[in-house]
Amino acid sequence: MRAGGLVPRSVTGRATAAGVIVSLLLVVAIVLGSRFLEHFDSALLPYAVATVFLAFGVAYRYTVWVSAPGAKRLFKKGWGSLFSVDNFRRAPTALPKMIATYLGFQKFLGARSHARWAAHQLIFWGCILASLITFPLTWGWFTFTSGTGSGPGYEMRIWGFKIIGFDSLDFLGWLMFHGLDIAAVLVIPGTSYFLWRRMKDRGAVTGQRFGYDLVPLIALIVISVTGLLLTFSSIFLHGGGYEFLAILHMVAVVFTLIYIPFGKFFHIVQRPAAVGMQLFKYTGRQDDEVFSCRRCEEPIDTTPYVDNLRGTMRDLSLGFDEWAEYCPRCKRVLRGSAYLSQVKKGFK
Amino acid sequence: MMGRTIFIDPGRCIGCQACVSACRECDSHRGKSMIHLDYTDEGQSVASLPTVCMHCEDPVAPCAEVCPADAILVTADGVVQQADTTRCIGCANCVNACPFGVPKIDLQAKLQMKCNLCYDRTAYGLAPMCATVCPTGALFYGTAEELQAERPGVQVADSFVFGESEVRTGVAMVVPADRVQWPVPGGLPVVEINGKDVRR
Repeated sequence: MRAGGLVPRSVTGRATAAGVIVSLLLVVAIVLGSRFLEHFDSALLPYAVATVFLAFGVAYRYTVWVSAPGAKRLFKKGWGSLFSVDNFRRAPTALPKMIATYLGFQKFLGARSHARWAAHQLIFWGCILASLITFPLTWGWFTFTSGTGSGPGYEMRIWGFKIIGFDSLDFLGWLMFHGLDIAAVLVIPGTSYFLWRRMKDRGAVTGQRFGYDLVPLIALIVISVTGLLLTFSSIFLHGGGYEFLAILHMVAVVFTLIYIPFGKFFHIVQRPAAVGMQLFKYTGRQDDEVFSCRRCEEPIDTTPYVDNLRGTMRDLSLGFDEWAEYCPRCKRVLRGSAYLSQVKKGFK
Repeated sequence: MMGRTIFIDPGRCIGCQACVSACRECDSHRGKSMIHLDYTDEGQSVASLPTVCMHCEDPVAPCAEVCPADAILVTADGVVQQADTTRCIGCANCVNACPFGVPKIDLQAKLQMKCNLCYDRTAYGLAPMCATVCPTGALFYGTAEELQAERPGVQVADSFVFGESEVRTGVAMVVPADRVQWPVPGGLPVVEINGKDVRR
């Protein structure tokens, strides 16, 4: 259970509308990008359909998420900081730096554990590579065509426009045709580490849930292993078992794509909010707007942040928002003093 | 109030820090203590106050409500869990909204951490680390009946007042018998800061 209760009907209505619009836009983009389905590969239809469901689910969940009081205010402040011309003029490198360190290299994970950082980087870059290849392929945006029919000379086209020509037998050709194998080789060790941790680390085991914590890892392993087995089948088994493996791989990918908006993978969509939050706080610090505890005068955070939090608390009818002007230690000490003076005098 | 929970009796606390050390041994946050031990009038009094997460029930977990990333889960047994590591964005909303000043934040790791009632132990019927080692019983784990059987005449309160607002919690405090019907003062409104009367 998460705090907040049921989602109001007005929000679900808005979320459904957002989901329908985004998924329809994707369908239009698929039709146009594949030159009215001329380049669309019908064998990849289940993947394309799954991405349309994914678009609906992500837009739906995102709308519900940013409608909650805490996220709504942060959403506004984050995007406000992002599109502030004044911010950009004062610190043009702040945003790219935050995106690179926070979203790309995930420095914060290194502060949690070096091993987890390394494993997550493998999964992250593997998934990025796989997404960059498969999404446009299933939408009919990428095509590989050969003038001779069977190569070795190929042309890579995006939306029908030629990007590069390459020989499938040279190194670039090998890279182009084995991009997904490389992605799988990156993902498997990273995911295996996390699976091992989920079974052995008592901190990770505490409160873990099969559907939320283990299913995503198993899904990544199944996708990667069946993907590699497809290559193995075509190279070493002359296509033996290829059809079964292709279906198994497809089922795993389709399931994972549909699962993204509703499970652990939603953090992929949520995580950029952290950059918005950082930028919002960074802007306050640039302006020297630091809010200090009313009792001990130690800094709590930036003044706009404290105001934003108090607004969120008022939105939620938490009638003690004034308390946010005291640091956590002073809150505890003041409560202890009140107990000492008003409840149990013998405590002294 | 939860069935089996922690009962805090500041009157028994001797400030020995055994709970602080034991908390570091908890598997879900190894090496980092989540319990707070504050000396309310340092230099003048030996009074000390241990603070664990109070697992707020009404309003349910303000820390989770203000979380913009839906990172804080409240399990069916009423335990407010630590932030989900994949979701927490390290904004510190929970740290500054908690009326009891409980959550901690690691700004480098962009991660909130808090007392989760030693879920790795309590989920299996074991007492939390802090209550296990407390030499004076300032932290007691069990049911209210078990507490009262051990300490006849003791009363407990699970409501706290912060200004106009009342917060009912899953963790309770030991109070004198005549205080049971009144919520325990949470410290707000603040009447005095550093010896100065701040009442308007």
